[in-house]
Amino acid sequence: MNTDPGSDWERPVTTDGDIAVVNLESARRRSWSKFIQDPRRHGIAEAIVENERLTAQLVGDISALDRLESLARQLSQINAESARTALIQAQVASMTHRFTEARRFLAGAEQDRAPLEEVSRIRLNIDQACGVDLDGALSARREIATKSGRLEDLVALGALLADLREFADADRIYRQALREYRDVSPFPVAWVCFQLGMLWAELVPRPQADQAAQWYRRAIDCLPRYTKARIHLAEIYASSGRTSDAEALLLPALESGDPEARWRLADALISQGRQADAEGHLHAARVAFEALLERHLLAFADHGAEFYAGSGNNSRRALELARLNVANRPTLRAYEQAHDIAFNSGDREAASEVLAEARIRWGKAAAFASSPLDKRFSEEREGAVA
Amino acid sequence: MSDHIDGPRQIGDPAADLTDLFAFTSPENPSRTVLTACLFPSAGADAMFSNAVSCSIVVRRASVAGLGDAAQFRTGDQEIRFTCRFDLLERAPGAKPVQRGTFTLPDGQTLRVVVNDKNGASTPDGIFRIFAGLRSDPFYLAWLFANMRPIPNLLEHDNVLCIVIEFDTRRALDTDKGSLFGVIAETIPLAPTSPVGPLPLRLDWVGRPEQTNMRLNYGPGIEDIRDLWNQQTPFAIASEHRGMFLQRLKESFAHWDMRDNKQDWTPSALDANARVFLDDYLLFDVAKPITDTSHLEIEKSTINGRTYETGGGRTVDSNVIDILVTWLVNRDREFLRGGATRATKPGTTVFPYFAEPNMELQDIAESVDLDAAPDRVWTLIGQFDPSWHPLVASVRMIGSGIGQLRIIETIDGKQIVERLEAADNSHRSYSYSNISGLPVSSYIGALEVNPRGSGSSVTWRSQFLPNDQPDIVVKAIVTTLFKTGLASLKSRLGDSR
Repeated sequence: MNTDPGSDWERPVTTDGDIAVVNLESARRRSWSKFIQDPRRHGIAEAIVENERLTAQLVGDISALDRLESLARQLSQINAESARTALIQAQVASMTHRFTEARRFLAGAEQDRAPLEEVSRIRLNIDQACGVDLDGALSARREIATKSGRLEDLVALGALLADLREFADADRIYRQALREYRDVSPFPVAWVCFQLGMLWAELVPRPQADQAAQWYRRAIDCLPRYTKARIHLAEIYASSGRTSDAEALLLPALESGDPEARWRLADALISQGRQADAEGHLHAARVAFEALLERHLLAFADHGAEFYAGSGNNSRRALELARLNVANRPTLRAYEQAHDIAFNSGDREAASEVLAEARIRWGKAAAFASSPLDKRFSEEREGAVA
Repeated sequence: MSDHIDGPRQIGDPAADLTDLFAFTSPENPSRTVLTACLFPSAGADAMFSNAVSCSIVVRRASVAGLGDAAQFRTGDQEIRFTCRFDLLERAPGAKPVQRGTFTLPDGQTLRVVVNDKNGASTPDGIFRIFAGLRSDPFYLAWLFANMRPIPNLLEHDNVLCIVIEFDTRRALDTDKGSLFGVIAETIPLAPTSPVGPLPLRLDWVGRPEQTNMRLNYGPGIEDIRDLWNQQTPFAIASEHRGMFLQRLKESFAHWDMRDNKQDWTPSALDANARVFLDDYLLFDVAKPITDTSHLEIEKSTINGRTYETGGGRTVDSNVIDILVTWLVNRDREFLRGGATRATKPGTTVFPYFAEPNMELQDIAESVDLDAAPDRVWTLIGQFDPSWHPLVASVRMIGSGIGQLRIIETIDGKQIVERLEAADNSHRSYSYSNISGLPVSSYIGALEVNPRGSGSSVTWRSQFLPNDQPDIVVKAIVTTLFKTGLASLKSRLGDSR
């Protein structure tokens, strides 16, 4: 694995992130306007989905999810029976992690003869997000990436390899995606840099904070309004005592409406001894998380669990959300999160239950051997024997 | 937390995407020529140019190299190149961001311009004048080609980013050496060899309208070769690919010829047509009149074995799609007219000749779910007569069918006049425009009834520009009108909830 992120990197020449965001917003609004003019128009609902997806993911505007749900609702009122409506509904349900509904819509789309390639693509996304048949998903992802060579297909393959704990391969594929990118939009480059940051900060068994920070900085360099990259980089800064740097990163991210920005800012302020300043942000984060969970419970269950396990200071709510997340998408990471929360809150019984479930579902997978759950299982077994 | 694979699929930068190219005589001064490239399809009101791309308009001398079935054009090697690139946004508190650009002219001079400044910038000697900014999209497409059905303009109210270059024709093009030229536009990444990997030499290029979408990619199920086309060097298609592209054009033109089930093209003429269109540059002759109808006349006359009579080119208001479709489908036997005869806004007679951008329309959409079956609902509300609406005191209908007027007296004594624009009983929908009575312009409304379970769903939508009153006030007026009407249906036809 190439552990030096600087060895093959210089700032790529892409459109300035500010310009790209202005243009994305302009295209997003225009696509809605055209939809209102003629909702049946070929490709217009699909354009909205892509614009809103970019807005949610890369600009951190969470209200994009509300708009997408409104789109799906409007389409169902206009043309409930069409395969196209079902495909859009499936995509929107998948983006908000309502995977059971997404599968139902997808089955409907298939029945109405939606293009098979599109159905398979969405189904593969859902399988991967839910940790279902990952070996099958891997061969499908490899085939698609080899055939198309497109950045989005390479990144999806990299993400799957990371889920399977094949970190060296994931790193290689992400870098390949960067090398082979042939356009000037900053969004894809920022996205891959962010994925590499996640890989080094949160996925590898021994996190490499410096490497991860480099990649997050690059993501922000390409796209200054990349809210999630700011939040993740701020976490690294805060954990290494650079709380003022964390604060400076997070302040511009507050306008996105992502409650995690307020939460991390509160943490940074608390570390600086500014408890009073932090209180307001923490309260606002709690209110915003609950509002989000009310609207998109499954999409934010894992984020909410992380908040309540931390400064949100409500371990019962944290565990409730983490277990909800496991039930919705029983990935190894979801089990790890639920187990950590249960264990750290002293709920040994719940921790054992989660561990047992995880072992039943993932015990035979190669990835389990590199999971902390495997070690925990051995410890429990040894404890029981002793 | 992991965000899995919810990543972007739309990876290209729309600000590098060329939509159109124009070449015409200046309406202000016949001794000057205007070349224009448009970018960013369906650009919104705040769209800006990419700072990572340069856009060039490139002119070469052209000549007729054969007539009739041997029709062909040749271009010289020397380029007359205009290139522009754009800066980062300049931001000031409380103000809209400003962008500036730099044009490099064929003689090496540079000229700075502020984006969206309609006066543009000129060289001190006045030979060159430039503009860059958002304008109303002059292109219009009003056909459903799947069944050759005319439809309303698909690009209504769209805007594009325009780069306009006007110059003294004789001095810039040295017309003593000839008056026929070919022109293309291309977008080029600023760093062809990027540190993250070699960027292509070119992101996009355009010559005549619709080379890629209509001619090379003429129907469903055929292999998409547009990317490969975009990688070709303008004026010099790679010899190893010429045969393949030529074959595709021949197949495409044979397909287009039979869209009316009549064969108008002989095989040899069709081959000549394909050869001419393979060399994709917009031909214009500055010594002859370039008019709204002269687009493609140079190519068509040459293929027909005659000396061309006009300057060809492409004006702002050229009906290029109908001209092209007519030529391909019936070789000008009978003019085929689409569903629109002009763009949202026509061109203007003053620099920069492309109309002001369309303002962002306000949208209203309200709906209601009802117990009643769609046909029953449609019987009540589908006749354009709004007597069913509780805010309507009386209605007078004038005429019938498309164009019918309804003169509505509201219960508070106001008069609203509206015109039926389209009606589709099979889809239970109609659309209408507002003539007077609401503080709006460009108002289009649509009412439709759709099945929903065993009941129905009624959706009422409108788009408009508020006039004289604040947006919020006008939106409240229209929303109240819609909500009150739809709510009344609930009590008459049953609320499905």
